[in-house]
Amino acid sequence: MSDIRHSLLRRDALSAAKEVLYHLDIYFSSQLQSAPLPLVDKGPSELLEEFLFQVPKERGAPPKRLNSLQELQLLEIMCNYFQEQTKDSVRQIIFSSLFSPQGNKADDSRMALLGKLVSMAVAVCRVPVLECAAFWLQRTPAVYCVRLARALVDDYCNLVPGSIQTLKQIFSASPRFCCQFITSVTALYDLSSDDLIPPSDLLELIVSWIFEDPRLILITFLNTPIAANLPIGFLELTPLTGLIRWCVKAPLAYKRKKKASLSNGHPPSKIAKDSTSGEDRDCHQLYSKLHLSVLQVLMMLQGHLTEKNLYGRLGLVPFDHVVPLVEEINRLSDELNPLNASKEIELALDRLAQALQVAMASGALLCTRDDLRTVCSRLPHNNLLQLVISGPVQQPTHGALPPGFYPHIHTPPLGYPAHAAHPALPAHPALPAHPVQTFIPGMTFPYRPIR
Amino acid sequence: HHPHCSPPITPTELAQEVKAFLSGVDPAHGTKLSAQDHARCALLLLRSLPPARHAVLQHLRGLFDDQVCAHLLTRDTSGTTGTTGTTTAALEEVVQEVRHVLADFIRANPKAWAPVVSAWSIELMGQLSSKYAGRPGVPHANSLNELLQLWMGCPATRVLMDIYTQCLSAMIGGCPDACVDALLDTSVQHSPHFDWVVAHIGSSFPNTIISRVLSCGLKDFCAHGSAGDPLGTDKRVPKIASVVGILGHLASRHSGSIKQELLRMFHESLGPGRDQHQKAAVPFLLQLALMSPALLGTVSAELVDSLKPPVLNQLHQHFSSLPREELDNTMSIVVHLICQTSAGAHRILHFLVNTAMPASVITAPGPPLQDGVREACDRIIQLLLLHLQKLVHNRAGAGAGAAEAPVPRPVPFLDALRPHVRDLCLETLRLERKRFLWQHQLLALLAVYAAPHGATDALFHLLTLARTPDELALATQLHAVLSSCLTDLLPATVTTCVCQIHAGRLPDPQVAQLFRNLAAVVQADTGDGAPAMGPVLGPVLARHLPDLSQLLLHRDADVAEAACLLLSVLPLPRAPAPAPLLGAVRAATHQFFLVLRSQNTTSLGCSSRLLARLSSVSPAAAKAVLQQLVEGALRRGNAELFGASPDQPPQWDECGAGGAGVSLLDTNRRFTTAVNFTGGVWSVFHAGVIGRGPQVPQGRGEHPPEELTNNTQTFLRLLLLCARGARPGDTTTTIHPEAAKAIAAALVENVCPEAAGAELSWPPEEQARGTVERDLRICRRFQEHPLLLPLLRLVALGRPALCYCSVLLRGLLASLMAHWEGCRDAGTGASPWHLQASCALVAAMAEASLVPPVLGNMHELFPFLAPFEVHLLLLSLWEYLRDNGPFPQRFSFQPERGLFLRDFSRDGDVGKHLAVLHSVLHKNIHRLGLLAGRFYP
Repeated sequence: MSDIRHSLLRRDALSAAKEVLYHLDIYFSSQLQSAPLPLVDKGPSELLEEFLFQVPKERGAPPKRLNSLQELQLLEIMCNYFQEQTKDSVRQIIFSSLFSPQGNKADDSRMALLGKLVSMAVAVCRVPVLECAAFWLQRTPAVYCVRLARALVDDYCNLVPGSIQTLKQIFSASPRFCCQFITSVTALYDLSSDDLIPPSDLLELIVSWIFEDPRLILITFLNTPIAANLPIGFLELTPLTGLIRWCVKAPLAYKRKKKASLSNGHPPSKIAKDSTSGEDRDCHQLYSKLHLSVLQVLMMLQGHLTEKNLYGRLGLVPFDHVVPLVEEINRLSDELNPLNASKEIELALDRLAQALQVAMASGALLCTRDDLRTVCSRLPHNNLLQLVISGPVQQPTHGALPPGFYPHIHTPPLGYPAHAAHPALPAHPALPAHPVQTFIPGMTFPYRPIR
Repeated sequence: HHPHCSPPITPTELAQEVKAFLSGVDPAHGTKLSAQDHARCALLLLRSLPPARHAVLQHLRGLFDDQVCAHLLTRDTSGTTGTTGTTTAALEEVVQEVRHVLADFIRANPKAWAPVVSAWSIELMGQLSSKYAGRPGVPHANSLNELLQLWMGCPATRVLMDIYTQCLSAMIGGCPDACVDALLDTSVQHSPHFDWVVAHIGSSFPNTIISRVLSCGLKDFCAHGSAGDPLGTDKRVPKIASVVGILGHLASRHSGSIKQELLRMFHESLGPGRDQHQKAAVPFLLQLALMSPALLGTVSAELVDSLKPPVLNQLHQHFSSLPREELDNTMSIVVHLICQTSAGAHRILHFLVNTAMPASVITAPGPPLQDGVREACDRIIQLLLLHLQKLVHNRAGAGAGAAEAPVPRPVPFLDALRPHVRDLCLETLRLERKRFLWQHQLLALLAVYAAPHGATDALFHLLTLARTPDELALATQLHAVLSSCLTDLLPATVTTCVCQIHAGRLPDPQVAQLFRNLAAVVQADTGDGAPAMGPVLGPVLARHLPDLSQLLLHRDADVAEAACLLLSVLPLPRAPAPAPLLGAVRAATHQFFLVLRSQNTTSLGCSSRLLARLSSVSPAAAKAVLQQLVEGALRRGNAELFGASPDQPPQWDECGAGGAGVSLLDTNRRFTTAVNFTGGVWSVFHAGVIGRGPQVPQGRGEHPPEELTNNTQTFLRLLLLCARGARPGDTTTTIHPEAAKAIAAALVENVCPEAAGAELSWPPEEQARGTVERDLRICRRFQEHPLLLPLLRLVALGRPALCYCSVLLRGLLASLMAHWEGCRDAGTGASPWHLQASCALVAAMAEASLVPPVLGNMHELFPFLAPFEVHLLLLSLWEYLRDNGPFPQRFSFQPERGLFLRDFSRDGDVGKHLAVLHSVLHKNIHRLGLLAGRFYP
């Protein structure tokens, strides 16, 4: 490795970077031939950091910087390399050795280059790169994923007007990437502040993707071997939690933003007001649409979980994430004057109730109604939510009620989609008849999901 | 190639475009892309490949560079010729496309694009202006306007400027700091060549640029300054330098805004709830002012006005927490800045002095000032004086030491104080507490700095404005300080004084005061060893004798008296030119009579002393003085002072015109003293102002007899004084013969001008009848002017001068004889004047040794004789004189007694002339026996 380094030192920045890639390819190809899972030793990664990410190895040595033209050239070369490398495993290992965060100071330029590479791959539609990136998003701590998401959103939603169309196109090229992208974007934009409300272009993009095929949300989940307990600090398997958060919090977050811009002493000019209110109305429709799709996907989920033998074992909408969501809604509705925002609060709580109910029913949310009651106790009153947390009349002695039994004191709430109450039964004919909660010892499910 | 009308590009095509962009080769034909196609390709990437934006912007740098190059080339070859013209046009077109694309982007999302694009455009402008700075056809960095014209005429730079402007205006509502930071950074890097950009942007967004540049500068100052690291100071200088440069550009047109902004910054920094940045504002502002005189100038004047007690207390509080070293540093900066301040320098001085040492111990209403503030101001003043001294004297030293240093370093503070020399003098003369010491010291520094005019002005003002000896001492002290380093100070000062007076810039009371002060200085005792001003000042003043003497006739009596006082104490030059001397004499004489009329004893003393001194200058001067005095005394108006009867019909040139007391003679006298006419044929006289109404006869002056006597005595004493003047050591009462001769000549000329050339010898008595008319006139003159007889007596003292009055004696004698001959009274007492005149005449002639003592004593008899006897006696006198003519050559000088004496023994026998006398004695022996002894030799 050291002789390679010496030869690289004599080169200019661009050709050194190219050489590094070349050597890396040879190294990993030969390694992969000898062993199925090569150990990545420190040598190559040091070379990468020195010559690709321009972190000077010796102190005080002036770093050779790529100028932005050279960088673009490098990006093109990398794109082409991943395109032309036919072996999936080599591609993967090189991608991850390039871009796995190492926790050192090369990480910043590593992330910057990754952002540009993926952004370019999106534009010129390099599927292998996108696939690698999707894979990377799955195995990288969420903080880094969020950075990549931000880079892409900046590029395609903020900077170049009209370029969102380019991003839209990758739906067909790499749905897997799209799915991971949505997950990371929902992790990024959690609506906790005005800056973290998703740009409307982005929202529209995601809604259009999901509306076109709701199963997009589940692609990662469906195509990944699931370990029993998910590691903490990584992206979730599906963007479901994030999307529920979006739909539920959106009415309140938009209201807060509007209020802030009014109280900031920016009385909006007439045109601006019209355009923003129009935009907001569009957004509300989009969130509505999104909410519907999320509910639909949740409905679908029961079948997939059962198929994978994970029903009742894997909470795709973890209860741990529901708790902060409820707290935030509580805080937001306190913050907004309930008198002025009653409509928004009503809508948010309705959506929350629907999502909770459906998630619980489909086995995505694993919790008892008592847990829910505790969590939701401080929320403003909402009829639907009240119904959801009180649940059907409990008859613990008759543990084997037929599924779908509802006590007749309830009438279905208004606005609740008629078909959501009757999930697409024919889609999952092979559901097991026995209750799933028996798989988790010590947990009781007073409510049995519908078949 | 507009973003909205281009069809969406497929990923494959885009990949092709990337390849083309990177390689510069057309993928379809394999040919090299032209610059504009390449640029269009770049623009395509910019619109559809977001991560390529930095690369595209970098590539476009080359495009703009090419365009500038082509533009300059076209400009040099003057016109679009052939290929260069078309390329220029094509490039320009692409440049405009770039502009459209970027403008769209910025409009769509200013927050994201403006920082990037503004930094890019500003940096590119910096690079381009630096790169093409030396090229032929590109004006020098100094000529900002030409540079601005060139670059704004060049499409590429123009577009860049437009883009930057758009960024800035897009960000102006939010936070333009990013844009301004880029501007500052580039300005640091490309300073002189980049100034046009700063100038243009600054004048487009004056308020934003001013406030933002200041706040960015302050932030930078804090970041690098407060840490106190040695490297930080190096970095800080350039950034603040560019702040200074930018504000300097704007100062010419937007000084108002800058001033406002700086003052706002200052006052905000003093508020109670200030953050770290605001605490550094005062040092920052000081640093700014230190680096830019222009900024200092815009602020300093108003800043002082806003330094009211509350502000000062706050400042004090702010500084009291600083370490000693830093305080000293700040203090020296402040002192340096004050030295560099020109606008409002006087106000600053006022403020400092008033704050450090209020004129009154009674404090003004409002919040009280802390003692610390006073002490600080006190210290600032002392340091300031020290610093100024260093500046002034080093400067003078350098000027003297190195002849090749032609431009001494200016001290704006002192320059600005120049017009306030008079105010400063006035303030100093108030002698208030400790202040006047400072002010005096400053005055001295200012005088040295602004030499020669400053020094002379300062001294002049002090001399003019001082009212008491204490105040006057300030002037002498100033002279003592200045004389050590300035030569020719006093001559220049005196010249200034004279010029100021003659230009009429001083009111009369001040002129008088000035003269009195000068006189006091000249007379002052040289006390301790200090270089005395008086002995030097005297001769210098004496050089201006004509200028000063002309003021003796000033319409304001006070001024005239003061001038007289001054002149009377001056050491007069040894040999002055006759003309000015004569003028002085004429003026002094006239002034004497004026004073005499006013009966002012002290001034009379001055006046006499002056005349005496004038006459002691030279025999000629003495002669002139005497002549003028005699002439004056006999002139109408003055003559009344000595008892002449005023009821003569007024002569045309001597009458007062109008009630204003204007005398044409007076007017003309003043006129001639000023202009120095020779008195020839061509002389022009002032003939009065037509239309002042009818002439009013002069009011009769009523003079009591004592006054007349007193006047006569004064006049005679003066004459004696002047007549003796040529021999100042002589204390005897004798009169110099030459002087006496002059008086005699003057008498003849004034009493009987037509007889001035007459012979000295006496004709037979019968022939005297031929001149009877003249004789009568002479007699009448004597009758009118009681002064004439004492004058004759005076002349007689200076033997043999009375000889020259021969014609008068003759005329008077003849007339008296005729009177006595025709007189039918019993005794001479019936015509008292004639008796008195006869006695006086004979006595004078006796005194003058024109007649021997035996004959000369005869007047003792006159009161006891009958008129015809007197006639006989006088006739015998005549006969004697006819035989022994009154010629000066009959006298011989007696050196041992210093007199001319006449030896009567050499003349013929006097006996035959005594016959009549004796017979008269005999006839009246019963009455005159007692006297007989006196008439026998």
